[in-house]
Amino acid sequence: MRLRSKRVSTKRRSSQQEPIGYLMIAPFYLFLIFIVLVPVVMNVLLSLTDYDLRSMHFVGLRNYIALPQDIFFTTSVRNTIVYTFFTLLFSMGLGLAFAVVLNENIRGGRIFRTAIFIPFVTSMVAVSMIWLWIYDPSNGILNVALSLFGIPKQQWLYDPNLAMASIIVMSIWKLLGYNMVVYLAGLQSIPAYLYEAAKIDGARFGRVFRSITFPLLSPVTFFLFVTGIISNFNVFEQVKVMTDGGPDNSTTTVVHQIYDRAFNNFQMGYGSAMAVVLLIVIAAITLVNFHFGEKGTDVGID
Amino acid sequence: MSELTETTAQRGLRSASAGKRLSVLEATGIVLFSLISIAMIFPFLVMLLTSLKQMKEILSPQFVVVPHKLMWSNYLGAMLRGNWALYFFNTTFVTFITVLVSLVLNSMAGYAFARLQFKGRNALFIISLIGLMIPPQVTMVPVFLILKHIPLAGGNDILGNGGLGWINSYMGLIAPYVAGSFGVFLFRQFYLNFPKSLDDASRIDGIGRFRTYYHIYIPSSMPVIATLICLKSTDTWNQYTWPLIITVNDNIKTVQLALTNFRDQFQTQWNYLMAATTLIVLPLIIIFLFVQKYFVRGIVTSGMKG
Repeated sequence: MRLRSKRVSTKRRSSQQEPIGYLMIAPFYLFLIFIVLVPVVMNVLLSLTDYDLRSMHFVGLRNYIALPQDIFFTTSVRNTIVYTFFTLLFSMGLGLAFAVVLNENIRGGRIFRTAIFIPFVTSMVAVSMIWLWIYDPSNGILNVALSLFGIPKQQWLYDPNLAMASIIVMSIWKLLGYNMVVYLAGLQSIPAYLYEAAKIDGARFGRVFRSITFPLLSPVTFFLFVTGIISNFNVFEQVKVMTDGGPDNSTTTVVHQIYDRAFNNFQMGYGSAMAVVLLIVIAAITLVNFHFGEKGTDVGID
Repeated sequence: MSELTETTAQRGLRSASAGKRLSVLEATGIVLFSLISIAMIFPFLVMLLTSLKQMKEILSPQFVVVPHKLMWSNYLGAMLRGNWALYFFNTTFVTFITVLVSLVLNSMAGYAFARLQFKGRNALFIISLIGLMIPPQVTMVPVFLILKHIPLAGGNDILGNGGLGWINSYMGLIAPYVAGSFGVFLFRQFYLNFPKSLDDASRIDGIGRFRTYYHIYIPSSMPVIATLICLKSTDTWNQYTWPLIITVNDNIKTVQLALTNFRDQFQTQWNYLMAATTLIVLPLIIIFLFVQKYFVRGIVTSGMKG
């Protein structure tokens, strides 16, 4: 997302000031300052303390030094990366595939699009509850269905080897509609004459996709990739509801660790240090986005 | 951006060549996507069917697809587990106020950033975009502490110590979500495309800037307002992480939070849980079906969602 500042209009009446402008942005800015700007600074300061809601001492970088040795934290980083990689790969890949077909305007396409998009609208807690039931080891429908094929009952969310995969499958189901809709918007901005030219040349579908569709969608892909990494790095709700990080910490994620440290153990300082690390990673990705985002042409996004 | 449902680049090609006849390729696509769509809404069917079953059907080793007798009483039973009238009121109230206040703050700031001349305007706008980049999960610890130390609230003294502040209050649930840089961004973009003559006309009439905003800009902003109402209300309604952190007592609980109550028991009452889930999910899905257009438009523009 880029902003185009209108320099021209600023220059036009630079002499005529309208101080009411400050008044009109003030209420919004008040909340911005206390909910976003001050907390970012506070986060860094807190991370240098051992604040536990009772007492506060300056501990320097001790929290940060402790992080790499904290097996819970390192596990959560690994889990978060695994979660992000698979969730993003499949929700973007399937989203693109579905968008390409639905863009061909098949009959009933609008209904299909709605059905695929609905999981994205519903709350993460509600769908987590539904999937908890689907994954239920003793009576859940998944095990019942698999038993028809002679596959033995699995423990799913209670099995350290399957729990993360189970959460990932549910998350792909929830997020792929979003990726599909954004890809559809991108596809619609591809000029029709390119396809007409390809048709006259007798190009087949695979060739058209490789030479026209996919390259022209690359700004959309880049956009979904960057924003997807950021939002998936913050995965928390489905983990909290479905497994609470277990079994054996096989599904704990970075935000789950922040929550656990800060609000269950009241290690506000240590939790903040984790949050700062996450913030730095996200800021770096955002900067990369701004740097390379310039190259992306204005396809579809705004 | 162009409407998703409208003609696409390929539509022209396809309808020109294929006409009304159903090609084999299209038929394959229809069958395939019918299956995919059924798979996508399948979990919701499971939810509905389970919500109407008896516990003995759910626990029976022989899987029951359609309940023998539709247990509508499960819905009443679920709502009597805890104070659900209050949870629904809390969620509706918090959602309504959050959407209303954020619309006012966002449209006012968006108008000022788009149309008024004041020193540092562009810098202030760019700073406000930081709000788009910082995910709330990252700042939840300091925001919690700030709200806990709001002076003279929730038993706090004038320095903000001693009490709970805005913890466990409606203010605590609402305050972090009314700013919304995305809304400001959206209103600003929208107002930048308004004809300048609107302002000139009102200037000649001697109407002040604020009244121009209120009487001319606001009534013409319905598309943006509709989009933001859709996005903001679903976001707030679906909120879980923040209520989890800020809520202590039952009396301030939202529906999403209350839903997790059903799991705290020795044996999960799946039929009650699914009935409550249906009541939380269904209104939103039905509303979504009607306002899809605005919703999708907002989603595509935002990108920061999800």
